[in-house]
Amino acid sequence: MAREQIFYEDVHPGDALPTLAVTADETQLFFFSAATYNGHRIHYDKDWARTVEGYNDVIVQGPLQAALLARAITDWIGGRGRLVEYSVQNRAVATAGEELNFGGSVTAKRLADNVGLVDLEIAGRRGDTVLMPGTATVALPLRGDQP
Amino acid sequence: MSKQSLIDAESASRVGTVAATATGEVNRRDWQRWAAAVGDHNPLWFDPEYARTQGYRDIICPPLYLQYAILGVTPLDGLRPDGSSGAVSGSLAFPRAPKRMAGGESTTFHGPAYHRDEIEMVRTIESIVEKQGRSGRFVLVSWRTVYRNQRVELVAEATTSMIARP
Repeated sequence: MAREQIFYEDVHPGDALPTLAVTADETQLFFFSAATYNGHRIHYDKDWARTVEGYNDVIVQGPLQAALLARAITDWIGGRGRLVEYSVQNRAVATAGEELNFGGSVTAKRLADNVGLVDLEIAGRRGDTVLMPGTATVALPLRGDQP
Repeated sequence: MSKQSLIDAESASRVGTVAATATGEVNRRDWQRWAAAVGDHNPLWFDPEYARTQGYRDIICPPLYLQYAILGVTPLDGLRPDGSSGAVSGSLAFPRAPKRMAGGESTTFHGPAYHRDEIEMVRTIESIVEKQGRSGRFVLVSWRTVYRNQRVELVAEATTSMIARP
């Protein structure tokens, strides 16, 4: 599978990552709970989510939002890019069936011991509402580096 | 304010102590199921030939999956009423704040994990504080977690948090 590689020299502060749009349905929530051994009923038991914990519906796992936001980054940095630091906060919940957008932009870049580090501001959003703000640092290859 | 703290003395006394230790084997099929549930079909997680052309010796574990490789087994009758196991939180109960949700996570990744790596996790309770949010009082718990492999190499270090509400 050929994937385009982005290099340190190619990115500049202000550059935007391609936005990943995902609408997680109940099936996806179920599989994510299963894959993470998460039994919390708010992700599959509508009655529990509504009557006991006060949500409108079953809610998207915070760690699924985090994984989708990381996916937007790892898709962008290519096979030779590396996720070095990743930090997110759960600010608001999303329910099954809502379209969510995951993306970010470059805030800074620097060379450290000949490694090209790029700082990102990232967010998971529903419309204009930020559900999951965060920051990340990735290492990108330099042109001329061997994999 | 005459309200009782949401943090009981027993929980408060555990700040600074080890909440949990666990070991587990990183498993390719498990991380691929996770990746499929995320819709993340990055060939680094799936395609050994591709991974080798990118400088790895084999496919690698998605960085965010590492935290699940060490999860143990909870009997059904050991679950909380809300279905969660409590294992990752070191069984902090907060009887006055029983509703819980993930707060956030901050992780530094030092190197890749491969299929059949043995990961040891040590999680320490870093802080437990009561806060006032838009929708009322809550407890914010922070843990510091270190992941090492069978060669005692540091794979990742994380700070994670949980919110517990009345």
